[in-house]
Amino acid sequence: MSRRLIMTLLLVVALVGILGADTTPTVSQPVQVPFVLLRSGHMAVEVKLNGKGPYWLIFDTGAPISLINTRVAREAGLARDLPPALLPGLSAAEVKIKTLQVGEQKADNVSAIVMDHPTLQAIGSKLGKRIDGLVGFPFFARFKMTIDYQTKTLTLVPSGYKPPDVLRAMTTALLGGNSRKSLSAAAQWGILVGKEVGDEADGVEVRFVVPGSAAAKAGLKRGDRLLTLDGRWTDSLIDLHEAAARVPAEVATVVRIQRDGKELELTITPVRGF
Amino acid sequence: MSLLRMLSAWLLFVPLLLAADSPPVRQPQRPADKEYQIPYRLTLAKHIVVRVKINRKGPFNFILDTGAPALFVATKIANRVGVTPDANGWAKLDRFEIEGGLVIPQAHARIETPFQLEGMNGMGLAGMEIHGLIGYQLLANYRMEIDFTRDKMTWVELSYKPSQPLGMGLKSGGQGGLEVLGVVMKGLGGLLGRRSSPEIVVRGFLGMTLDDGDEFPKVHSVLAQGPAGKAGLRPGDVVQRLNDRTVTSVADVLNLARRIPPGGEVRLTIQRGKEITTIRFTAEEGI
Repeated sequence: MSRRLIMTLLLVVALVGILGADTTPTVSQPVQVPFVLLRSGHMAVEVKLNGKGPYWLIFDTGAPISLINTRVAREAGLARDLPPALLPGLSAAEVKIKTLQVGEQKADNVSAIVMDHPTLQAIGSKLGKRIDGLVGFPFFARFKMTIDYQTKTLTLVPSGYKPPDVLRAMTTALLGGNSRKSLSAAAQWGILVGKEVGDEADGVEVRFVVPGSAAAKAGLKRGDRLLTLDGRWTDSLIDLHEAAARVPAEVATVVRIQRDGKELELTITPVRGF
Repeated sequence: MSLLRMLSAWLLFVPLLLAADSPPVRQPQRPADKEYQIPYRLTLAKHIVVRVKINRKGPFNFILDTGAPALFVATKIANRVGVTPDANGWAKLDRFEIEGGLVIPQAHARIETPFQLEGMNGMGLAGMEIHGLIGYQLLANYRMEIDFTRDKMTWVELSYKPSQPLGMGLKSGGQGGLEVLGVVMKGLGGLLGRRSSPEIVVRGFLGMTLDDGDEFPKVHSVLAQGPAGKAGLRPGDVVQRLNDRTVTSVADVLNLARRIPPGGEVRLTIQRGKEITTIRFTAEEGI
């Protein structure tokens, strides 16, 4: 390798390093975050908001966005982003937290809603521990996370996933922009199926396996009942397409079927086509 | 933030408290370390949803929710699967199955519809109907690995006995009067003509494979006994039009084909040698 090339590479590495330091304070190694299991059955983690805190927040996989109360929003310097309350008690304002730190792991520019949620206040007063919010999707979705209730640890490793804007998605939903959806298999299997009206049993009926197709080569037969495809239930035509939409051509895939009263598994490798 | 958006934001959070203590749960002895690959979907509002069957009925959509202390099954669903709660609102489900092969016998569940589900379904916020929540009491039995670059989670069965969440002795789980919001939003959604889940159209099966060509896509292969093959399509045919629309690439064809449901008519204008003809057939139900 020429000296010049090496110098260039070093420069690039250094630049990336500088940019990285500026924009992503995220720790790339796995970070273990201990949590406290509240008697109410919730996971509480220590959180810093823009360097302020620590505060106790509930780590909530059911929260599509993080939530903080008005008090900590003000402490974290987010007060000027708060509009005057439209409806007292029901106000909800959208803010961007510059850095949200959970244990020793950090993410920046995290969307959150500022609201004083009565349930969190109730948990706080019942358990004698102040709970100031919820850690939600825009934070945790950036990481491969492992939740272990036995050791009471949360392990966070950056995954490269970029969470989409939840509030924008919600606005789309509110505008009714989601009333129709089309589904297509991503590859060709050669399985024709059907399900009679009133047939409530698991799976769909295989009505025809196209000779020469991927499914025929794998040994699927007419009369088989297709129960799962790639571990997903195929109880309806829509389910079948939903599952097949996720499997690209040339990926060997396990399908579970029922034949002559017995369940068995076949491996089908679908091909390009439709 | 508009008023509607602000009110809707309240429906996104489902932190819940138990109104009453859970009855004692006996942990069935199962092999530890058993691993499950659990498929999940994200709702429009980015809730993590898994599909479940209760007493072999379903599938139903449940939110994976560490913010809920227990398994919550909407009242409507409990009725549908024939589960009756005790006086405190708890029930034992004979068989609770999570997509991906995880079967939990004798699962403890609260039969209750949090107002957020009511409102979310009413406004169509999730893009699918939500039937319940899977919370701590069930989740604590697994080590869960969730990576949003994959479309399945890994759950590993743990062998310890999780502590039971406490009831808070509150009426309706301490929602502080927010319950009315669920009713309001459900009513509003009704007025706006919202559906909890979108109408889904699937593509019909044609039985062919195309390659991009110089000007038009070209048939690479045809399943002789598939719909296109039976109608006479052959490898090498050049596809110029699909249902009266000119196509110049495979992507064009796929785009148009998405709108052809099973039973839908397919008209392919093809060139074979010097000759231009139209082949007609019907798309079938399959993949």
